[in-house]
Amino acid sequence: MTTSLPVLPPPAVDAPGCRGCSANRAQHLTQLGVAQDGWDVLVALAGNPNTGKSTVFNALTGLRQHTGNWPGKTVARAEGAFALKGRKVKLVDLPGTYSLQAGSADEEVARDFILFGEPDVTVVVVDATRLERNLNLVLQVLEITDRVVVLLNLMDEARRHGIGVDPAQLSARLGVPVVAATARRREGLPELLEAIDGVVAGRIATTPYRIPAHAPAVEAALAELVPRIEAAWPDLPNARWLGLRLLNGDERIETALRDGEIGTLAGTADLVTPAPETAEDVLMSAAALRWRLPASFHDQLVERHFIAARAIAAESQLRGIRRARFDWDRILDRALTSRWLGFPLMGLILAAVFWLTIAGANVPSAMLADLLVDRLHPALKAFGSTVLPWWLNGLLFDGVYLATAWVVSVMLPPMAIFFPLFTLLEDFGYLPRVAFNLDALFRRVGAHGKQALTMCMGFGCNAAGVVATRIIDSPRERLVAIITNNFSLCNGRWPTQILVASIFLGALAPPHLASAVAAGAVVGIALLGVAFMFATSWLLTRTVLRGEATTFSLELPPYRPPRVLQTLYTSLVDRTLIVLWRAVVFAAPAGAVIWLISNITAGGQSVAEHLVGWLTPVGLLVGLNGVILLAYVVAIPANEIVIPTVLMLTVLVADAAGVGPGAGVMFELDRPADVAALLTATGWTALTGLNLMLFSLLHNPCSTTIYTIYKETGSARWTAIATLLPLVLGFSVTFVVTQVWRLFA
Amino acid sequence: MTPGYALLAFGLAVAVLVWTLWPRTGPLAHFTRMLRLTDRVLTEDALKHLYDCETRGTPATLESLAGALETSRGRVLRVTGRLEGQGLASAGGAGFTLSDDGRRYALRLLRTHRLVERFLADRTGVAPGEWHHEAERWEHRLDEAQTERLARRMGQPVYDPHGDPIPSARGVMPEIQGVPLNDVAVGSAVTIVHLEDEPREVFERLLDIGLAPGAALRILEVTPGRIRFALDGRESSLASALARNVTVVPREEGAEPELPAMTLAEVGVGEAAVVVGISSACQGPQRRRLLDLGVVPGTLVRGIMASAAGDPVAYDIRGALIGLRRQQAAWIRVRPPLEGEAAA
Repeated sequence: MTTSLPVLPPPAVDAPGCRGCSANRAQHLTQLGVAQDGWDVLVALAGNPNTGKSTVFNALTGLRQHTGNWPGKTVARAEGAFALKGRKVKLVDLPGTYSLQAGSADEEVARDFILFGEPDVTVVVVDATRLERNLNLVLQVLEITDRVVVLLNLMDEARRHGIGVDPAQLSARLGVPVVAATARRREGLPELLEAIDGVVAGRIATTPYRIPAHAPAVEAALAELVPRIEAAWPDLPNARWLGLRLLNGDERIETALRDGEIGTLAGTADLVTPAPETAEDVLMSAAALRWRLPASFHDQLVERHFIAARAIAAESQLRGIRRARFDWDRILDRALTSRWLGFPLMGLILAAVFWLTIAGANVPSAMLADLLVDRLHPALKAFGSTVLPWWLNGLLFDGVYLATAWVVSVMLPPMAIFFPLFTLLEDFGYLPRVAFNLDALFRRVGAHGKQALTMCMGFGCNAAGVVATRIIDSPRERLVAIITNNFSLCNGRWPTQILVASIFLGALAPPHLASAVAAGAVVGIALLGVAFMFATSWLLTRTVLRGEATTFSLELPPYRPPRVLQTLYTSLVDRTLIVLWRAVVFAAPAGAVIWLISNITAGGQSVAEHLVGWLTPVGLLVGLNGVILLAYVVAIPANEIVIPTVLMLTVLVADAAGVGPGAGVMFELDRPADVAALLTATGWTALTGLNLMLFSLLHNPCSTTIYTIYKETGSARWTAIATLLPLVLGFSVTFVVTQVWRLFA
Repeated sequence: MTPGYALLAFGLAVAVLVWTLWPRTGPLAHFTRMLRLTDRVLTEDALKHLYDCETRGTPATLESLAGALETSRGRVLRVTGRLEGQGLASAGGAGFTLSDDGRRYALRLLRTHRLVERFLADRTGVAPGEWHHEAERWEHRLDEAQTERLARRMGQPVYDPHGDPIPSARGVMPEIQGVPLNDVAVGSAVTIVHLEDEPREVFERLLDIGLAPGAALRILEVTPGRIRFALDGRESSLASALARNVTVVPREEGAEPELPAMTLAEVGVGEAAVVVGISSACQGPQRRRLLDLGVVPGTLVRGIMASAAGDPVAYDIRGALIGLRRQQAAWIRVRPPLEGEAAA
């Protein structure tokens, strides 16, 4: 992944008058993307959620970034690099948090990196429209480190809302550089670089603001503790802060005091370390003082921060700026969340997205299938037959290649349309409103309104839906969303549903109603999936998930013009291609397995025929057959190849000569009537069709999704539950349906 | 097999499975509970009982041990034999007494137990009534290193969620201050410092009323058998027998004010209110989230819009639009804004 780029020297500045202007200084910025091995300066990027932090990150490092997770956490970590005045700067994007109290995994990651990751500078991105709230985090960062630059972002939005902020005044109050910016338009970024450089080089001295007076009980404890600390470490610059950390029970600080590491933390490496007994004494008295702190100690600390933040914000705000005539946000919100219009508008928008996806994907899907399956496959096969032994030719091109080609042609087009559309809605700010409107429904089953969004994402792809649950910041509700995502009928399963519904259920109705019945049946199955999602959410939150922590809050960010290009890029690269790659990685070996079981024979029959024979009794019990069950076993990597596998196996088992291209070669027939003829000839009935539709909805997630669930939860237990729960449900439902059908038939 | 019988067999199988796996009362739960009751667990529970008797000043006898451990006297004899053999306790005239080692061991168990309760309260969604039972299980499983790791992760808490002090790693802890709620005179203002967590039913009843450590009470009336008091601006009452499980101290000057009765849930769209505090019934992750959002005393909150279904409602909290559910809004106690406060 990482290739080293030469660090570019700063361009020569000829005209002295030009030296200070931003156009010139911007040239110091050379985006290095992922080329970040070895750096001279380490910069951490902190900020509240929705402050445009990622825009700043992308603007500085370019779109290519090194993404992954923080060690041992499912918190996304992005790193990038850029060159600044000949020095290589590594930028680490911290998770967006409201505070650094280390209450959640996000906060723990952010706090630990600022405290112990030894960043040279921490840039805190602040939303200028919500200065007061954002300053809370700034003040907490200033307590930990004094090498801070505040980036006052979204200045354009602030102006639109009639809010003006005086960066100079804010900087004077906070004691650190403050840079006004509109990162979306790259305004203010050169000044940011200048400020970073100034703090790193020590040209800009910082005197960070710290809360002058805490609650009386806290001050009383500090009054006892601080003199002891000062006596033990006379050179320490901030004994008061240290005292507060000790009263907070900060183990890292305690250890640092014990082993003398406190010198590096405080930035005074030549600190005189006192005798171990003295350090122990201080720690003991801190521990004793903690008993006397009020129970509301934590509340009071938070309160003081907000009081200070409010005072500072009020002093730095400019008055008399005219508000824009119309508050578009409120007008839009009034319509989109209104009692009468809210749900119909939501239905319209989501229906439009799905319609665009399905209608738009048809043509490219057919073209891809034509190219990859109908043209390229025979060509490859013919080429292979000249240089390879028949079995290797079959294994490679009939097995591995064909499975991969199938997955790509079915999966790629809908995802490439669905994900960008969905991400645009997200970027615009509409999706949080959907969660807001639907929360009442999800609350009743113990879930989070945002699960509506991850569920919608699941209709595109379950693996992507599972990744999307990261937006749910409450552990219990996130697990519910992960485990139930498979009940969203993903686009790999739609073709199966449509084909089977039109062959078997449409045929039950009079001809002029056939297509309506078939379409109704497919929509019915999708709705049944939603019903199962609600039912299992209810069950899970009352049983296995009862003990997981739960919180609720739903921030409704202001509407923002979507960043179309960036959205296209990230949704194509981060969602579509990554998911597709994972699917291909899993589909390729499955193709090999499918070819092998059809071509290896034992006792005159292929392995596949033996397996089908064994699975048939089970299949009949639940109204399916051995072929379908085997297809679901071998096609676990991707639902897309279930139907081709079923057709291939049916022909193989029935020994129907003249249909299909041969053993182990998946195929589809152009005319549904041919498929119907083939299947009914081998014993399929309307019951088989109905059960196949139910089983296609209710079975284990594909292996890509299972793997993703494991990555996201880090737990074999939840992965097992997410895998087995729908499977057990599928067998139960098809069994009951079959027996009831037979009872009345 | 005919469909009718097949369905019947299926129904039976499901019923048996549900019965077997039923939490707490099902056969599987009984079985795992039996497996857990090992000699180590019994020995440690015995130590805790001895420590308990020591602090209460009552003698620890074979009978009291058999009662506390819910097991036969024969098994208790084996346990006490092991305690004496390891030098953790000795038998004397007035029953069993702990040795210094035994007391250290008991305090370490107590530390683990209370730390786990704190953890369950702050970091999980385990219901308050279950904290104690869960902690009873964990205290026998965590070794010293794991306990200390937990303490570090939690920021070395000093009180458990019931208000009991957590012994330090060296076994130091202060005495619990305060008196039972039924010993308090009419008219006095007190703060709850401790709620007894056993029996579970009583504890859950106390929580239902909204009592929690840190809550401010004012005693309105004491009649034989019942105490009436104001809690968070609302009148409530409690049977004296239950009030014994609530420990209070006189409210100090400058302590948290009593909360008003008005909640944010009553603030309509377009109206504004000023936060006075968060009810002490809201603890753990929920409370921390609200604090981080800026719901602290003095914050001006304005109702902006209700969702299409009416709940949640979005409020302007310090410049951000935050959707809160009705249940959360009911935890937030507010007052009407003063003249000029609502502008801005």
